[in-house]
Amino acid sequence: MTGNTAVTEPVARLLGVTKKIGSKTLVGDLTLDIPAGQVFGFLGPNGAGKTTTIRMMVGLISISRGDIVIGGRSIKTDFEEAVAQVGAIVENPEMYKFLTGYQNLKQYARMVSGVNKQRIQEVIDLVGLGSRIHDKVKSYSLGMRQRLGVAQALLHRPKLLILDEPTNGLDPQGIRELRDYLRRLCREEGTTVFVSSHLLSEMELMCDSVAIIQNGKLIDVRRLKNEEGTQTPGGEFVFEVDDLQTAQTLIGGTVRNGEGIVVQTVREDIPELNAKLVSGGVRVYGIKEVVVSLEDQFLEMTGGEGIE
Amino acid sequence: MSKFNALVHNENVKIYSRARTWIMLLLLAVFSVLIPVLIYVNSTPENMPGQWDGFQITLSVIFNLTTIFTVVIASDAIAGEFSWGTIKLLLIRPWSRSKILLSKYISMVLFSLLTTLLMTVCAFAASLILLPSGGAGMTQGGWSPEAYSGMLIVCRYVELFLTATLAFMVSSVFRASGLAIGLSLFIIFVKNLFITIFNPDRFEWAKYLPFSHMDLSGYLVSDRGPGGVALSFSIGVLAAYYVLFLLLAWVVFSRRDVAG
Repeated sequence: MTGNTAVTEPVARLLGVTKKIGSKTLVGDLTLDIPAGQVFGFLGPNGAGKTTTIRMMVGLISISRGDIVIGGRSIKTDFEEAVAQVGAIVENPEMYKFLTGYQNLKQYARMVSGVNKQRIQEVIDLVGLGSRIHDKVKSYSLGMRQRLGVAQALLHRPKLLILDEPTNGLDPQGIRELRDYLRRLCREEGTTVFVSSHLLSEMELMCDSVAIIQNGKLIDVRRLKNEEGTQTPGGEFVFEVDDLQTAQTLIGGTVRNGEGIVVQTVREDIPELNAKLVSGGVRVYGIKEVVVSLEDQFLEMTGGEGIE
Repeated sequence: MSKFNALVHNENVKIYSRARTWIMLLLLAVFSVLIPVLIYVNSTPENMPGQWDGFQITLSVIFNLTTIFTVVIASDAIAGEFSWGTIKLLLIRPWSRSKILLSKYISMVLFSLLTTLLMTVCAFAASLILLPSGGAGMTQGGWSPEAYSGMLIVCRYVELFLTATLAFMVSSVFRASGLAIGLSLFIIFVKNLFITIFNPDRFEWAKYLPFSHMDLSGYLVSDRGPGGVALSFSIGVLAAYYVLFLLLAWVVFSRRDVAG
């Protein structure tokens, strides 16, 4: 069951991607596979190289060294074929303000094959722009422009949807809606979503996996959710007991002041450990899993530096 | 892949969806009619110029306006996309940058043809209606009035074409439409002064600059142009600058890192 996704060919592969401007290295030797059918987060503090990487992925800026392959096609040597599989919003979704939302979509529809009126209506319905689509974009709020941005990115049914800081400037309701339809998109249409952000809590809710980048270097890639969409079982459990010393001799682990005794174990062994404590005369008040939030992990990894 | 025509169509939509384009076209039509009207109002029946004279006077005045309006469109072609930020969405489509640039250039050329045609039709119709028939005063070198007027339009169009291409190039290289408009207007107005100061008859090098060759209408009445050069030399110089402008626009546009 878990094997399936691992075997599938990644949608996009970043192979030793480097971007240098002068002597400054913005992104250094970044290698990353983006697995198909996931919402994949790209996390890092401001200035870590997220936008630079995304711009290279869609061919807006050149790649100094390495290559980016999307659906088996190189963005360097086979740009048109590679980018045809991508829909993207890079930073803010900027539209032609003097055109209506619908005219904007038609601009992009004309540039690809196989997008008819019906498909345009489909994406309008998906992002929920309704009748406002026929108003000029200059009258749109930021949230509406964001929706129009997503609509233009989805128009040609891309395999890979790339969104750069999509929650920037959205109100909490907008963020929630965006999250919901990204997940729906991933689930129903099988679109892989690659989303960058510096908002950790947001990524935690939205993504299946995240890659963490700092100072242009990839620090870590980790899976946040398993197949059922729940948190991966953590290995640390806290036992709240009255007699820490006795408890430690019975089940091992380390004493953590104010909390109790922390044991590294798997879920299945907890009743047994509890039985040991009880039979040893230790009173147990509570057992709970230590959930390390992404934020804690992130701060740990990046040394707490450079985060907003 | 969809057709290249669609790209040109997109560019046309961007040009003709804006109110300012229609204001420019309206102004052009009004001024093209206004000059023959002014000629008519300010002349007595005895010294009234003929319709061909009136037409040619109108052309020589209004062609400057046509050039300026085309330069405005050319300057915005690329710089506009950068200042709106829409360039990021435009360049991530399955089209090479060369083709996107070409579609923009073609739409600009189509606009220049439209403005020239509009001006010609309005100026000619107004002259025909208001002014007495005949009048071949400005016709020299054995040209018929029709042919001379036609050649005049071709010569002035060459000038417009090169100026607009310059504006297009500046728009691509500097991504600033203001600079592109300013520089093109500067050249339109300073060109003649420049020719006077650095006369190709006195300065050998000046004949390799485009300024003295941009107005080819001198060749309609004479075999020798500025600095004693032939028509083929003038055309050669203009062609060289034209290719240079396009090459610069293309190289910069297709290689540029689109960031920030």
